[in-house]
Amino acid sequence: MNEQDVLLHALLKRLDSAIHELEAAAAFAKPSKLPRLLDIARRVLLQEGGCALLEARSQTLEAAGLFAGSDWERPQILVPALTSHALQSSDPQLLTIEALSELRLLAVALGSYTHPLISAEQAHHYLTQVMALNLALLFTPPNEAERETQGRLAQIPRNLFQHLAKRIGYEYIIDQLIDEIWRILRQRPIQVDAVKQMVTQIAVCQQDPTIDLGGSGQGADRLVSSLYGTTQACREDPGVTVYQERLDCMDNRALQLEATGFARAMHDTGLVSPYHAVLLRHLLAKEEDYLMTEALGLSSTGRDGFMCYRQLCRALIKQGIYPETAQGIYGLALLLERGILYQSPVAPSLWRQLGLQLAPNPRERLLLAFGLQLPPEARLLEGVLCILGQPLGVGQGNNPTCQAARALSMWAYNDPDYLLQMLTWAARDDEIIMHFEGQSISSRESAGGLATTPLLDLDPVSLLVVPHLDAIYAEMGRRCIGREGDPHRWVNPEFHGWWSGRGFHINVDVTTGKLDQLDSFLRAFYACYHPYYNGNQPLIHPQPAGIAITDSAARFIGWHAITLLRVALDPDEVMRVYFYNPNNDSGQNWGDGVVVSTADKGERFGESSLPFVQFASRLYIFHRDPLEGGATERVTQAELNEVKGYIERSWGIDRC
Amino acid sequence: MVANSSPKYNDSKGYIALLGWSLNAIEAAARFDRRYLVVAPEWAEEYCQQHNIPYFAWNFERLNDRSMEIAEQLKEMGVDVALPLFEETVEWAGAINAVLLKNPQLLGQSMLMRDKSLMKRRAQLGGIRVGIFEEAHDREDVVRFLRRVNQTLLKLDGDPNDPIHFKAFDKAGCLGHRVIRTPDEVDAIPEDEFPALMESHLDGWEFAVEAWIHKGEIVFLNISEYVTLGYSVFVPASPELEAYRGQIEQQIKKLIKTFDIEFGLIHPEYFVTSDGEMYFGEVAYRPPGFKVFELLEKVYGFNAYQATMLVFDPKATAEEVRAFFPKEVVDADGYAGCFGVYPRRRVVSKLEIPEETENHPYFDSHELTAPLEETVTKRTAFGTHWGLIYFTGADAHTMKELLKHQEGLDFYV
Repeated sequence: MNEQDVLLHALLKRLDSAIHELEAAAAFAKPSKLPRLLDIARRVLLQEGGCALLEARSQTLEAAGLFAGSDWERPQILVPALTSHALQSSDPQLLTIEALSELRLLAVALGSYTHPLISAEQAHHYLTQVMALNLALLFTPPNEAERETQGRLAQIPRNLFQHLAKRIGYEYIIDQLIDEIWRILRQRPIQVDAVKQMVTQIAVCQQDPTIDLGGSGQGADRLVSSLYGTTQACREDPGVTVYQERLDCMDNRALQLEATGFARAMHDTGLVSPYHAVLLRHLLAKEEDYLMTEALGLSSTGRDGFMCYRQLCRALIKQGIYPETAQGIYGLALLLERGILYQSPVAPSLWRQLGLQLAPNPRERLLLAFGLQLPPEARLLEGVLCILGQPLGVGQGNNPTCQAARALSMWAYNDPDYLLQMLTWAARDDEIIMHFEGQSISSRESAGGLATTPLLDLDPVSLLVVPHLDAIYAEMGRRCIGREGDPHRWVNPEFHGWWSGRGFHINVDVTTGKLDQLDSFLRAFYACYHPYYNGNQPLIHPQPAGIAITDSAARFIGWHAITLLRVALDPDEVMRVYFYNPNNDSGQNWGDGVVVSTADKGERFGESSLPFVQFASRLYIFHRDPLEGGATERVTQAELNEVKGYIERSWGIDRC
Repeated sequence: MVANSSPKYNDSKGYIALLGWSLNAIEAAARFDRRYLVVAPEWAEEYCQQHNIPYFAWNFERLNDRSMEIAEQLKEMGVDVALPLFEETVEWAGAINAVLLKNPQLLGQSMLMRDKSLMKRRAQLGGIRVGIFEEAHDREDVVRFLRRVNQTLLKLDGDPNDPIHFKAFDKAGCLGHRVIRTPDEVDAIPEDEFPALMESHLDGWEFAVEAWIHKGEIVFLNISEYVTLGYSVFVPASPELEAYRGQIEQQIKKLIKTFDIEFGLIHPEYFVTSDGEMYFGEVAYRPPGFKVFELLEKVYGFNAYQATMLVFDPKATAEEVRAFFPKEVVDADGYAGCFGVYPRRRVVSKLEIPEETENHPYFDSHELTAPLEETVTKRTAFGTHWGLIYFTGADAHTMKELLKHQEGLDFYV
């Protein structure tokens, strides 16, 4: 035996003894046995072939009580997206138990371990999602940050994923990843960097002769080409300089082909190729307005807007569209399609934006977040185009600032010139002043907001405005201290705009946390928003609302801010609530069969939807116009009981 | 209570009260075939209820006149004997057992075990060799003793002093144990460590013994070899130290006689000087620190807490006891040792087990946790280590070198 084998042999002996110790321990003593077991398992994971040895022991490990009392005990509720955090943690125990859970599910997926709580198919599906979400861990060596925080531990997720990929097969991962990308893209987020990274990973995989993708990865062509080889003239990803040279030799017919090629890909995927920006700037220089509208893929509405505001559109492209800010093209196209340039304050506001001088602090933040390659004004302009084109594409990043993200989205959707005003204050003056019940509140004087760390993972507009809004929102809350009931009653209308109804309903008693007047709450909601009870009146202005977020096991997680957008019948004639969720990925499973849909149920880009009953069951706060009552008495008890059933099986379980 | 209604308990075996809170002891008791009762402060109550652990609330302060009260209550419950788990509960066990076993002498015996100075005098009276020792009530006593010891050794002014050892009277193990070489170091002793016992330093081989005694006989004798005091220990001892086993056994028999020990676990410490002479250090009537019990279980497979319960139990028979214990040394599967880690740097930010340690085939596991504070407080006395690392392996010399080698490594960087 060589040294490696001796070590592994000794480790395995220890591992088995540690498993035995855990198994033999009384329930109360199990926690004290875990550290040794996890430490030995960690060392096994670091050895070549260690993953396979642990996979083989996964049933014994689980039976001994490895996962007892933790979330991992119920694999059916595990959320793939949470694995990234655990696998990149610097806590060796967390990392190890996560890896062991994955190996256990691998054994389940491959049929060697029949688990009472999760089927082989479910386990397989879960693992492919985990792989897709953590693809970087499979294909790239640890980066500086990982090395710094994880040290030698960084090797464990890599060993794990190589083992998983080998056992499951690369082809599953790639196809899963592609589905995942399309699912996210159908929500048309403003921030697409993560998606672009995943697409790039696939492209790299396809190029690598040592990875056998089998028949998989076919669906990736559209994604890869929309970024790297959209049209005939950039098929082989020649680089922008070569592409520019090719454009220089093209006649209008050839340019027309390029323009429609890019436009189709862009509207198809929501992703914009850097070459697209090269083309648009080329057309701008040649003053080919018609071809520019072709390259933007505009309908007659958008084209009309472009032609009416030709100077403005040219200026926006000139200052805002570069290969690095190509997503701005998609924003501009959708902005034009929305026709908001015809609202009289919008065009002058955009002119102000074009000439805006950034204050030192906002400039610094933009440089910090987006780097030095482009002037920060261009980044900001890209952000402006995107948020006005895709108001529902705003995400809160990894920050507790859902209210601020919701407000930005609501203004972009409903009151775009107000948003541009806010942005001007934030970018030029580094201060926003709002009013609360007649008193002014400056973002500079507030004692601070919910976000405790600097926000960097945001789109350019959010990056500048959110810190101010966060501070003001928190200050408004502070001014309500001492009032009876929930502060949202006063804060929401003052913060979001006059259209937020002053009538306020909440179904939780703030002091006890118990459910309160549930029937009248639900009746009022139905009567005000359900077309069958409100005289078939479509929702006019977006309304802030609060929901109780639950996890996939229907357990209460926390309160969350969303916007009510529409209530309408879906293609299957089911009455649905369409809403905006500032969370970055709205396709969420809230448990008890409540699965938020983001596509195929009549959703517009960026909308989430649930059947009316299910939505009402997660709602805890809404606003309405107190003068428009609706027919509360006509709502049937049967309907209310259905909603209450959902509540009692989820977040209301301990609140009755 | 579920744990106690289990059919595996029968009345022919004793009912044992464990004094003090030790999860390892409770776990061992829960897996043993005797009824048990955990006697611990009130904060343990909720946990015990949650986990069905038989529990009796008691706050162990200094022994006071309430000791009769607890003894009577335990007697009423049918408890046969009380077993001390910590230094602080030794005299409580003595007081309780004096009542339960109708043997008033047990209280006096336990008081001897709790007072290092009385203990030494008693040993001396019993013809056991001890070093020069004296009691200290203040710092002046320490300075005087240091000077006297070094005069005795015929040192001249300016010669480096031989150190003396300073041990707070009632602290266990290395807590409050200081090595003093100069009068300056005397100033660093905090007020609350007085009164204390001072001893001359002996150059030699220090080791400890764990001896289980039943009906006045040694039923199992383990020798724990210290590689460096306060840092590392392993069991069984190396063949070189085991060569003294016969002599050591004689010493333990003397101790049993002198202290009139009928049953229980004793944990004495000794020196062997270079001329093969044994010097008695001190003895404790409770499980040793430094996880020696865990080490014993790793090599011999028996649980030392259960072993202790067994020899305490007045209902245990000689046959049962004989069947429980393995044969010393020959039945051991290799060697098990542990090393107490102290941070070596003044400022540390994270825990990093050295690769050479982690990849050594003897490395078993560690109990170290990430540092809570970045600045390391300066060590006073022998201090408290930040956690232990465990090793197991087949060869005593490799073990010894490995443990010694760890002292030069950084675990916190």
